[in-house]
Amino acid sequence: MTDIAPVVSKIEALLQEPVFFRDVLAALRDCPYRVILRAWSDVRMRHTLARDELGRYWVERM
Amino acid sequence: MSGRSSNEDFRAMLARMERAGHLCRIKKPIRPEHITALCGKAPAAVICEAVEGYDIPVAGGLYWTRARMASALGWPEGELGARFAASVARPIAPEVVGRAACQDVVLTGDNVDLTALPIPFMHEKDGGPYISAGVAFANDEKLGPNAGCYRMMFRTRRELGLDLFTASDLRRYYQAKFDHNQPLPIAVAIGVHVFEHMAAAYKAPAGLNEMHIAGGLRGEPLQMVRAKTADDVMVPANAEIVLEGELLPNGWTADEGPFGEFAGMQGDLKRNPLFRVTAITHRKNPIFYALQMPWENDWLNGPATEAACARVLGLAGIQVAAVRATEGGCCGWSVVAAIKKRAGEGKNAIAALLSLPVVKQVIVTDDDIDIYNSDEVEWAVTFRCQADKDIVILSGMKGKHVDPSVRPWDLRPGELPTTSKFGIDATIPEGIPAFRYERIVPAFSDDVRVEDYLQ
Repeated sequence: MTDIAPVVSKIEALLQEPVFFRDVLAALRDCPYRVILRAWSDVRMRHTLARDELGRYWVERM
Repeated sequence: MSGRSSNEDFRAMLARMERAGHLCRIKKPIRPEHITALCGKAPAAVICEAVEGYDIPVAGGLYWTRARMASALGWPEGELGARFAASVARPIAPEVVGRAACQDVVLTGDNVDLTALPIPFMHEKDGGPYISAGVAFANDEKLGPNAGCYRMMFRTRRELGLDLFTASDLRRYYQAKFDHNQPLPIAVAIGVHVFEHMAAAYKAPAGLNEMHIAGGLRGEPLQMVRAKTADDVMVPANAEIVLEGELLPNGWTADEGPFGEFAGMQGDLKRNPLFRVTAITHRKNPIFYALQMPWENDWLNGPATEAACARVLGLAGIQVAAVRATEGGCCGWSVVAAIKKRAGEGKNAIAALLSLPVVKQVIVTDDDIDIYNSDEVEWAVTFRCQADKDIVILSGMKGKHVDPSVRPWDLRPGELPTTSKFGIDATIPEGIPAFRYERIVPAFSDDVRVEDYLQ
C-alpha cells in the first residue's frame, strides 16, 4: 500500500484554494483510488473543510 | 415465464439479466471513478470484475432503461404498472431467519474501514464518492420498521453524510431521536434485489412496512435477519453488503453534496446528519452495486407512477388501455396514457392525471396508438389535436423545488413552490368519424417475407 502521508500533504496543498473533489482526483491520478480516499479521510479528520455553494472545498484557516 | 427462482437474490438476478443479454461482464481493469462514464456508454448493464485496488466487483446501470428494468423484474415491459399495483395490493410479511449470507463476514471496531469498499466518484461536480444504492433500514417503537433509499457521501473511513433533507419516514424517526439528543440506529443494505429496492423507493402509505410490499412483489416472504449491532433493525438476509451504525444527533449541520440528482441535474450542497458506521457485514465475495443516476433511480419509481396513473384514471371512471411514464420526464413528471375514450374523457383523463403530485405534463391518446412508440404518439398529437381546444393548462398547482422553472430560489424560507401543468388531448375529437383516420396498409403485406428478398 502506498504511503498515505505524502498524499495527505498533496491534498492539503490543493486545498489552499477552492477545489472540487474531482480536481483532487485529477491531480492525484497516479495514486491508487483507495489511497486517495484514505488520505481524504485523514484530511477530513485533521481539518475543518469549508465549502462554497458550488460544492468546492478548501481548508479553513484558523 | 420470468425465469426467476424462489427467494432470488441480487447476484442471481444479475445472472438472469446476463443470460437475457441485458448485462455484460467487464474483465478489463477499471478505476472506480471511471465506472459511471462506462455505465452511461455501455449498451447493457455492467459488472466490472476488476476494479483497480479492490477485490469487490461493481455492478451498475441495471435499471437504466424500461427494458432492463423489466428484465430485472422478470415482467413484460408493458405490464410494469399493472403488476406493481397488483403486488402492492397483497403485501406479504417477511420471514425472520437466524443465519444469513449477508453476515458471512462481520467487521467491527478497528476493522471497519469504508475505503475497503469500491465507493465510486460518479459525477463531475459531486462532493465526493457516493453510495447511491443504499437502502436504509430503521425501526421506531411506535411506527415500526421502515426502509427507504438514501444517498450517502464518503467523508471518512467510518463516516458518511446521509441526505435526510426531504420529508420522509426516516427523517421523522431521526427527528424524534434528535429532539432527545440521541442517535438513531440504522443499517444500510447495498446490493439488494430489485423488489426490495423498488419497495423501499415506493412512498408507501403510513404504517405499511415496505418490506411487506417487497414480499408482495416477490409473491413470497422476504427473508430478513436481525442486524449484528444496530438495535432492533432487520435487514434482507441476502443483501451483498450491510453497513450498520448510527445517525448521529448532529442535526442538519454536516456538509453533504452536491450530487447528480434524480431529475438529471446537479443538486445543491446541503447540510445533513452524519452516519457513523460501527460494523460492516457482507457475503463471501460480495458485489458492490453503484446505482447510476438519473435513469436507474427514476425507473425504480416508474412502475409505481404508472400504477398511480392507472388508479386515478380508474377512479375517474375511465377505461385505461396503457400508461407509460417516460424517461425524459424522469418516469414520473411526464406521462402518456391510452384510453378507450367516451365523449369528454380525453379532458377528464388529463384532469385526473395532472392531479397527481409529480405529474406535470400528460398526453392522452386513443387505444389504437402504441404509446411505447414516440412516433405514433407524435402522429396522434399532430392529427388529432387542435391546440386551441385540446391543450389544457392548469395553473397554481403544487410544484417541486427540484424543478428550476418554478424559480425555487425566489421563495421565502418554508414557502412551497407552485407550478403550471399541461395536458394534450390527442384522442380523436368528438364529431370526427374514425374512418377519417383510417391508416394506410401495404397491399398483400402478409404475403411478403422480408428475408425472402434480403440476403
